[in-house]
Amino acid sequence: MDIIGNLTTGFVAALSWDNVLFCLIGCFLGTLIGVLPGIGPIPAIAMLLPITFGLDPLSSLIMLAGIYYGAAYGGSTTSILVNMPGEASAIVTCIDGHQMAKQGRAGPALAIAALGSFFAGTIATIFVAGFGPILSAFAQQFNSPDYFSLMVLGLVTAVILAHGSVLKAVTIILVGLLLGLVGTDVNSGTTRYTFGISDIWDGIDFLPVVIGMFGVTEIIKNLEAKQYLRDPIKAKLSTMWPTKKDFRDSAMPILRGTALGSILGILPGGGAVLSSFAAYTVEKKVAKDPSRFGKGAIEGVAGPESANNAASQTSFIPLLTLGLPSNAVMALMMGAMMIQGIQPGSAVMTSRPDLFWGMVASMWIGNAMLVVLNLPLLPMWVRLLSVPYRLLYPAILMFCVIGVYANNNNATQMVIVAVFTLFGYILMRVGAEPAPMILGFILGPLMEENLRRSLVLSRGDPMIFFNRPISATLLFLTFCVVLLIVLPSFRKTREVAFQEE
Amino acid sequence: MIRVKSPQDLGAGILFFLLGLAGIYFGRELTYGSSMRMGPGYFPFWLSAIILFMGLVIGLRGLMFEGPAIEMPQVRPMAMVILSILSFGLFVIPLGTPLAIIVLVFIAAYARPDVNILETAILAVCSAVFAVLAFIYGLGQPLPLWGDF
Repeated sequence: MDIIGNLTTGFVAALSWDNVLFCLIGCFLGTLIGVLPGIGPIPAIAMLLPITFGLDPLSSLIMLAGIYYGAAYGGSTTSILVNMPGEASAIVTCIDGHQMAKQGRAGPALAIAALGSFFAGTIATIFVAGFGPILSAFAQQFNSPDYFSLMVLGLVTAVILAHGSVLKAVTIILVGLLLGLVGTDVNSGTTRYTFGISDIWDGIDFLPVVIGMFGVTEIIKNLEAKQYLRDPIKAKLSTMWPTKKDFRDSAMPILRGTALGSILGILPGGGAVLSSFAAYTVEKKVAKDPSRFGKGAIEGVAGPESANNAASQTSFIPLLTLGLPSNAVMALMMGAMMIQGIQPGSAVMTSRPDLFWGMVASMWIGNAMLVVLNLPLLPMWVRLLSVPYRLLYPAILMFCVIGVYANNNNATQMVIVAVFTLFGYILMRVGAEPAPMILGFILGPLMEENLRRSLVLSRGDPMIFFNRPISATLLFLTFCVVLLIVLPSFRKTREVAFQEE
Repeated sequence: MIRVKSPQDLGAGILFFLLGLAGIYFGRELTYGSSMRMGPGYFPFWLSAIILFMGLVIGLRGLMFEGPAIEMPQVRPMAMVILSILSFGLFVIPLGTPLAIIVLVFIAAYARPDVNILETAILAVCSAVFAVLAFIYGLGQPLPLWGDF
């Protein structure tokens, strides 16, 4: 296997002036939206997806990578400066990062977060390049029953990482699967659950669903909490650059975080959240003086930030090789690829190697852009935070509607946004976390198709899922995960982990 | 009289129960087929059935175990935000993007009390100009600049 040769192919494909420019724009816009308080990477990416649709597949994926890393970094910025994590994986960054900001050391915290992420990103890119082909070759042996079991495993693992009740998380995934089936059934041509509305004959677009459930619902939540009465945030950036001691203290945590994140990111359902929590725990364990944690220890920023960036990178591995998104953000990426006519999976690497390796290279380019763009522009992002919420939310709404409308120039999409805003709101009120739904929503048709094929193969005998070694192993792993969730001691750890919010 | 111990769980239970029920009811005319030859109604039926069952379980747990209350929804933020989104869908073709955005910003502003009209007007115009420059000219998005009038 020739990693270097492959990566060269990728960089040659990715590094045209146009593509670098698209990546830069993506990174800029991603940070711009991601830095707005209360907007996590999911709605930020969703809002910006449509602007990539007009480009050719490679450029659009590269721009997407820029948006993705930009949005993630924007999220870290808000965590550190104003203690508002936009997503679960940024929660731990808040703990020490915000303390550092309070001590006037926001600059070093942000710089270490960016540099740590860049380092982690570089290593994780090599990891993807090395591991991708191996897993992809392995995936060639996968048959319908194996894919079905793999999706079951992925969806069950996703439950662990949802906040709150496990039962509700399971059910919300099932609801997502069901919603994913709306539209024309590919096998029989029958329309399902369309109620005669022609706009959803091809299925419900996922963009209005995501924007409604994550973007708009969030705005309503903030308005109900009277966010607009709060004083605008005034964050100070006195010193930008970390001291020599900061670098020394962060070096090892960055290495450890990178290793941890790269491995945990590959697990289905794993990824950024799990690895940032794990990295924080590890740093606290190995520290000479654990009591510094929670009071502005730079290790508490360096470790988790590197870990979650490494993990968000390696979580592309299951997506690109198996076609399995391991979390909601990957589900979005998968949706975007499918709109470009690419069905993620092991076939991409063999049929479009330039695309696969270009994508891998673009991850690194996206990370590099982040350092180049965000560190110098930090003062500007910080000033953005001082815009009062009453001026901010109408502008965010504008981004939401334009994103959805530009997607397919269909004004009725706004009705879908409204419906899913309402749905997301109700879910929030009854304590059900909506993020896992997106996974089900994207996987619904795939899962049905693989189930159908499996049962045709076995003439209707469900034992086929246990007779094939790969499928049986995956189901056994699923069983272990279920046990883990039910086990009281694990339940407690999980509750504690989510309490830090 | 049964006392509801966890209103959130009961609410979620009822919501999921109804969704499952709707899934089965509206899918009743889809061909079920058989395990060997799954019809279009096979997978939806089983999904809906499990959702319905899970709804029952979650709802019953809500009667048995203590849990948080459901916060009262506030009408104003919800109504105005949703209205603003629908207004954009309604006006974007007849009025064009910039004017539709001005309408959106105005309706959205009234999602909170004490609206300053002048400030909102400035915000609306700035947003519209930004949208035209960034999305239509900058990114070449296919949004209508002027309406049909």
